[in-house]
Amino acid sequence: MNRRNRILLSCVYWLFVLYVFVPLILMILMGFKDSKFIGFPIRSWTLDWYTGVFADTEVLSTLGYSVAIAVLSTLVSVVVGTWIAVLLEGRKFLGRTAMFGLTILPALVPGIISAIAFRIYARLLGIEPGMGAIIWAHAVHNVPFVALVVMARLSTLPKSQTEAARDLGADPIVAFMRITLPYLVPAILGASIFCLLLSFDDFVRSFFLGGYDPTLPVLIFAKLRSGMSPEINAIATVALVLTAAIGIWAERFTRRTNKDAKS
Amino acid sequence: MSDDASAIGATGKNDQSGRTFWGSLTNWAPYRILVGIATASPRRQFLILAAFPLLWVLTQHLGPMLQMLRVSLTDAYPVAPGVEQHFTLDNYWRFFGDRIFWQPFFRTLIFAGVLTFCTLILTYPVAYFLARHVSRKNQMLMLLLLLIPFWVGEIVRTYAIMILLGNTGAVNLVLKWFGLIDRPIPFMYTSFSMGIGIVYLTALYMLLPLYSALEKLPKSYHEAAADLGAGTWTRFRRVTLPLTLEGISSGCTLVFLISTGFYATPVLLGGPSTTVFAETIAGFFHVAGDQWPTGAAFATIMFVTAMLLTGTFQKLMYSLRKGDAK
Repeated sequence: MNRRNRILLSCVYWLFVLYVFVPLILMILMGFKDSKFIGFPIRSWTLDWYTGVFADTEVLSTLGYSVAIAVLSTLVSVVVGTWIAVLLEGRKFLGRTAMFGLTILPALVPGIISAIAFRIYARLLGIEPGMGAIIWAHAVHNVPFVALVVMARLSTLPKSQTEAARDLGADPIVAFMRITLPYLVPAILGASIFCLLLSFDDFVRSFFLGGYDPTLPVLIFAKLRSGMSPEINAIATVALVLTAAIGIWAERFTRRTNKDAKS
Repeated sequence: MSDDASAIGATGKNDQSGRTFWGSLTNWAPYRILVGIATASPRRQFLILAAFPLLWVLTQHLGPMLQMLRVSLTDAYPVAPGVEQHFTLDNYWRFFGDRIFWQPFFRTLIFAGVLTFCTLILTYPVAYFLARHVSRKNQMLMLLLLLIPFWVGEIVRTYAIMILLGNTGAVNLVLKWFGLIDRPIPFMYTSFSMGIGIVYLTALYMLLPLYSALEKLPKSYHEAAADLGAGTWTRFRRVTLPLTLEGISSGCTLVFLISTGFYATPVLLGGPSTTVFAETIAGFFHVAGDQWPTGAAFATIMFVTAMLLTGTFQKLMYSLRKGDAK
């Protein structure tokens, strides 16, 4: 009985793996098709679409634009998110629950609503649609994720360490910089990579807050609306390889640091 | 330059703390005065620490939502010069006045609810298998395998679904090979293609909470139930399911909120008969400014409804959990 269940469940797992991977694999394959028309079967293969993408200055500059937005917004999110985490973790004060609720609010607001709320607010703040507005919206949206990850790590820091530093004469700032912050580094790095990916992949906020220059997902969306072509597959594959590589590297990195922390 | 020299090069003359960067910083008079002022009392120290986060969450997290609410109650935004802005509820009445507004709204809610349920049914066995039937070492690897595709963005994955389900797509090709169909089935631009796409995008947000809930469940509970004579189904229904309600509740809440907020996926995968409320809202922002208040009102309606629904759902699950514990 148990054995039969086990086999059945493992089939479900592998079917799920197929469901998750097959669409992406098909999409990658289609980027090598030697024809303008998207569709199976693929009879002849070519690399032309890729050489086209790497020769296309519009795509390359869009890629750079997206990366710049991701890096800058992550920097802001990390500083603010860590600061909030340090305030919230292990402290009791009036309104802490409300503060926590407000901190995670941007992560709970459904995408479209968050995008237009930012759009309206940007108007109030006088931020013109464009790079600055996208960076700002991504930064605010990603703060909750940093705060949650850093809080989790901070809760495992033994209090005795900072207390020892204080006893040895360090003021709160030095104790934070030399004890707490180094301890938080793995969490901060993990959260940064997560923010980079969230920002790089984000469509809805970039779409509603963008000016004339599109980010990579917005460019792919615009091209898709005017028709499917293997060129889009090549662009999407480049984006896919980039994000998946960063994701896998981050996963390995955090696992290694967790292991180091344990041993 | 001289500061550097004293920090790195000086030997003997300086005392121990003067040698490092931190040592010279804490010996620097202006810094000491500042720290002295900042840490004079625990209360002041706390206020300095709390001021910036408080300001940030109020102006950046809450601010956009409040401004959206305020704009939704006005008759014109952005305000043109020379025009006076009035407060009104008309934008909210407009929602009930026209079928093309409230129909997508209810469609979105029903869709999100059904898809959340489908995602739960689809991912629960997967999470169960990973947490209960796989060794610790392989668990992480097999979970990582599922994580990889989820690092890829929303648009790219939506496009992958378009290729899968298109008229010349892989599914139709396979069906034709097996001789099951003569003409391709038009999957695309229907609620089916949209559903497949949205489940594809949200499955992970269900899988992870379920997995962590199942993983926490001690194996001994299962064995105890088996010793007491419970069959597989009874064990699942009376032990596993009640003890993973928390994971189910948070997974469903996440997936529901995310599915209601999708914009690009319904645009690309859906058709005219599957317009979701996100598209309705977005419509008011593509046109010149004067439609913004209506769009803001609609977004507010959606946000409040989504919050009420998920809040009620969480309360319900909570009382179910408490009821079971007794």
